Amino acid sequence: MPHTFVPLSTHRSGWVQSFAAPVTRVLQHPWVESIVRLSAVEASLQVLHPLLSLTEVRARVVKVVDETPSTKTFVLQPNALWEGAQAGQFVQVRQEINGRRVQRMYSLSSRPGARRIAFTVKRQSGGQVSNHMHDHVKVGDVLTISQAMGEFVLPDAHFNFLPAKMLLLSGGSGITPVMAMLRSLQAQGYRGDVTFVHVCRAHGDLIFASTLKDLAARWPALRLILHFDASQGRFTADTLLHLVPDLHERSTWLCGPSGLMEAVHQLWIDHAIAAPLQSERFVAFALLPAAAPGTPVQVRFITSQRGFTTQGAAPLLVQAEQAGLNPKHGCRIGICRSCQCVKTSGTVENLQTGALSSVPNELIRLCITAARSDVTLDL
Amino acid sequence: MSLATPTHSAESAHLSRAQIAQFEIEVNAIRDSVMNNLGQADVDHIRNMIRICRASEIGGRALLHFGIGPLSWIAGVLALASAKILDNMEIGHNVMHGQYDWTGDPSLNSQKFEWDIACDGEQWRHSHNVMHHTYTNILGKDRDLGYSLLRMTDAQKWKPRHWFQPIANLLLAAGFQYGVGSHDLEIGRYKHGGMPKEEFKGRLDRFVGKVKKQWFKDYLLFPALALWSAPRVLAGNFLANLIRNLWTYVIIFCGHFTEGVAIYREEDCRNETKGDWYLRQLSGSSNLTGGRFFHIMSGHLSHQIEHHLFPDMPAHRYTEIAPQVQALCRRYGLFYNTGSLFKQYLAVMKRILTHTLPPKRAVA
Repeated sequence: MPHTFVPLSTHRSGWVQSFAAPVTRVLQHPWVESIVRLSAVEASLQVLHPLLSLTEVRARVVKVVDETPSTKTFVLQPNALWEGAQAGQFVQVRQEINGRRVQRMYSLSSRPGARRIAFTVKRQSGGQVSNHMHDHVKVGDVLTISQAMGEFVLPDAHFNFLPAKMLLLSGGSGITPVMAMLRSLQAQGYRGDVTFVHVCRAHGDLIFASTLKDLAARWPALRLILHFDASQGRFTADTLLHLVPDLHERSTWLCGPSGLMEAVHQLWIDHAIAAPLQSERFVAFALLPAAAPGTPVQVRFITSQRGFTTQGAAPLLVQAEQAGLNPKHGCRIGICRSCQCVKTSGTVENLQTGALSSVPNELIRLCITAARSDVTLDL
Repeated sequence: MSLATPTHSAESAHLSRAQIAQFEIEVNAIRDSVMNNLGQADVDHIRNMIRICRASEIGGRALLHFGIGPLSWIAGVLALASAKILDNMEIGHNVMHGQYDWTGDPSLNSQKFEWDIACDGEQWRHSHNVMHHTYTNILGKDRDLGYSLLRMTDAQKWKPRHWFQPIANLLLAAGFQYGVGSHDLEIGRYKHGGMPKEEFKGRLDRFVGKVKKQWFKDYLLFPALALWSAPRVLAGNFLANLIRNLWTYVIIFCGHFTEGVAIYREEDCRNETKGDWYLRQLSGSSNLTGGRFFHIMSGHLSHQIEHHLFPDMPAHRYTEIAPQVQALCRRYGLFYNTGSLFKQYLAVMKRILTHTLPPKRAVA
């Protein structure tokens, strides 16, 4: 039975947005830009007030919560350009670390429509950004974030439609988007049947422990199941079947580490479960293993929707030309940067230095770069 | 020496292939020592320069608009000229080389940067980054050699128009931004049928478009905003542009046209290794001595040698590696061409005047 709930406005559009967008367009006009650059205007605004911007959502850190020894929740107050988020969405958080811009995605755990937003960062061993966030970001700092993104969301509030029975399932730090969903459901007076199963190593690793306790106390219809691997044994598909026998009647939202995700997807296949399963994978950024030279790899140009398969250690520029493409180029020896473009994903080798890199969205020069895995380029 | 081996100018001719290979490794090591520790200090430097440049432009324009009397006018002109020099030399030229692409900051992205000069950024990236830096001092390829206007070497054919070379030189200096701006049009190639008309038209439109924007800003909009002070502002803007033109001209001419700078033939540079390329960059460039302020105002082109070896290294680092490059040259018996601005410019003038005259006919 479809359930009606009170639509909560998640999309805000104030006068600031309606002012900032046209002003930005005017400033970007070549004739205006030759008199005053947009970057100069932005820098001046930032001097006036660190949150002030025509183009960027900036957010001030108002609270940092130590959730567990390895996770912190950052609560932020965004500026007026923030358009709000749907429950389950994430933002790209941009910082400058030692002069270099770095971006990471973090799911929001805050209730959609709330004035403040929150995300939780787990400290990764050797993780540049997560360690920086833990060690250096403090109350009062200003971060630049994207608008909310992502398809892992509850059905749109405007359709006034939610399934009558739901299962929310998360593992580890995958709890963050699910937390936003729970907060959203509770705030909107959802009266259906929600089971929330969360898996983590031990009680000490439980993020949002006190919030969950409060939530369960105020929302008796919520069935909250916590599973701790350390004391209760490894969580498997069978554990899930045992805990939630009416799986096939529920719409399920799943977010967690790969092992859990694969196990649950397999369960859906094995039992031919027809009920919808939506999932989001958290991928910690890692060096993709480089394919041995000679292994065929796929090179895709995302803007022009072209691509080719290639092998060998020749520069991407040469390979693209052999495949009949003609990317912009100049000196062909790594000097002029005419062939510079953004590599959105994949592992590449700098043929001048021999350095391998898997960093997403990095600038590469086609004439001195070889693909060492499947690669996508913004061309 | 095999046929495939590029021949080099006198200074590096004494090096064996093995020595050139070793030289390449050592130059690469200098490069890596800097490029592997780029960080906050480098970004802070360029952002600081951008801030000073903006403040200088705002201050200069304000003095020209609202100042009273000739002193404030002179101060305004100097401030605006400094802003334009900083924008063109230390900021624009260096950013467009990709020296700060590693930061990921779009306002420092080499391929999108646009500067306060009559030269279109994209055309500059082609004529300068592609043609000049790749084919440095190769006759017929590097069109910076005399800017298709001046005869700088005996290898260039003398023509009667070269009698006017000293005057042409003066005109080029005074209107240097237009010289640089029209450089990528390759008018000569177009006139000799080497470029299709549509391509030339496209390049011309781009150049004219940029010139219009610059004129609109400096000679129409700002004077108009100054109302009754319009003549004061117009004259000030004109003089600021002129000062910038003369300064950039002097610095750039001292980078490649001093005494002892080698000129190459295209056939000499086929099958070049990176080591050969380094040697060509070294023997084709000359430095200027001076203090930190001088280096910044020259956009560190006073370290032309280091710049040509490592065009995408943040330029303020050149001072740090210059002693290493110089020591390396000493060890390999290579000429490290450096001197004061006065001495180097004198050498440039001598070169221009010498090549004004037709070559003496060989005695039969």
